[in-house]
Amino acid sequence: MPFDGKILLADDEAHIRKFMGLLLRQLGSPTIIEAVNGAQAVELYQSERPDLVLLDVNMPEVDGLQALEKIHALDPDCAVIMLTSLTTRNIIERAAELGAVNYIRKDTPKEEILSTLRQILDTLFEPDGETNNT
Amino acid sequence: MESSASNAPDLKGRKILIVDDDRLNLRILTGILRPDGYTLAEADSGERALEVYAQFRPDLVLLDVMLPGLNGFETCRTLHKTYGDETAPVIFITAKSESDDVVEGLTAGGIDYLPKPFRPKEALARIRTHMHNRLLVEQQRLLVDQLNKADAAKNRFLGMAAHDLRNPLASIRALSEFLQDVTFGPLNAEQLDLIKTIHTASQQMLDLVNELLDVATIESGEMKLCMEPHDLAGVISKSVELTNIEAVKKKTHISFENELPPILVKFDAGKMKQVVDNLLSNAVKYSPPGSHITVLLNADDTGCSFSVCDQGPGIPENERDKLFKDFGRLSVKPTGGEKSVGLGLAICRKIVEAHGGTITAVNLPAPAHGCEFRVILSAT
Repeated sequence: MPFDGKILLADDEAHIRKFMGLLLRQLGSPTIIEAVNGAQAVELYQSERPDLVLLDVNMPEVDGLQALEKIHALDPDCAVIMLTSLTTRNIIERAAELGAVNYIRKDTPKEEILSTLRQILDTLFEPDGETNNT
Repeated sequence: MESSASNAPDLKGRKILIVDDDRLNLRILTGILRPDGYTLAEADSGERALEVYAQFRPDLVLLDVMLPGLNGFETCRTLHKTYGDETAPVIFITAKSESDDVVEGLTAGGIDYLPKPFRPKEALARIRTHMHNRLLVEQQRLLVDQLNKADAAKNRFLGMAAHDLRNPLASIRALSEFLQDVTFGPLNAEQLDLIKTIHTASQQMLDLVNELLDVATIESGEMKLCMEPHDLAGVISKSVELTNIEAVKKKTHISFENELPPILVKFDAGKMKQVVDNLLSNAVKYSPPGSHITVLLNADDTGCSFSVCDQGPGIPENERDKLFKDFGRLSVKPTGGEKSVGLGLAICRKIVEAHGGTITAVNLPAPAHGCEFRVILSAT
């Protein structure tokens, strides 16, 4: 099921935005909006209302978890996937508490990232177009 | 070697507390000790000794046994109770060198005794010896402390460096995959070869960085195990399946035949997968192309174990002790030009031991040859 929704991609590292962007385009033909820090991610979430957010944990100033908290406050139904570089259990647990739907390790091979993303999208967006946050 | 006399300046200013209710004895001891340049304090009772000790913090205590009130032994026990391992060494002064007194003194925490009347040279020599020991203990404590700090700093640095290198490396690897996929148009054979080289090199660096990070995490004591019941056979067969994809390139095959019903054992699935992956890729790495690698699983009430048997050259006897150590690369070389930094087995050992298990390696007898790595996990 190709994905044609709007994705907000927030990461302070340009190379990550580059490769995640290429990867996301393999999901279908999504519209991708990029943010380079947490504050910008929150702003863009408010103005663009994307269907999906990929949020890096380690960002300067407003970090991923803080941004997640703010985005979740704006929209409790938001679909946020955290981008991590380490599976630090505390961070993942904290993100889950704050309402993230899942997480992806950035150093995972790209095919694995893709299949994880597809699975997440399948559970989030059922074929009838309804959102299902479980 | 230095003579004991030339050692004396080291001890100048070191502090000795002399406890004796006999003024004459105090005078004699003070006279004996003066030439070595010690700083001295006096007390004429056990109670007073405890007060002075707290203030003066001596490096050594000369303690008379027969004291009014709190006697010498009681005073010594109180000091040990209060100051524990830090208590300065106590030398008892005994009027009579009766062995009962000596024994009680030593069990009360004293390290030596001086019989009265004093023989100045002997007294001084004994005191010097104990002072030197005390000094060495202090220095050792300081060194251990410094080493621990340096080790923690090393782990922090290693962790930080590895962590920061990971993301860029993962991006290089992924971007080179995109180029290989011809997403952006076809490449000629030479371009494709270059891209593949970039991909392989970034993958190797990523593996290395991940291993370094694992070592840093484990060594700093930050490795947390998430122990849950899993089917070990399931973890092994998944790992075998994946490693076989790589092994095909060397025409090597890994077989895992398991007839046991699924048994649930408690372990950290991610960490145990890492151990299995590592043992399997090692077996492929060190076996000649076209080899056959066997994985066996055993289980009973006491726990379960699995072993990986390769057809490599085995472990040279004289390098056995290096096998599970950090950077313990052996003279045995990978057979297909693969890379090794020598951290894999060290990480395996640390993970297995954190699970309360053991990992061993034995060379297989002829005609099989090769090596068997066995991991034993006890049922808990």
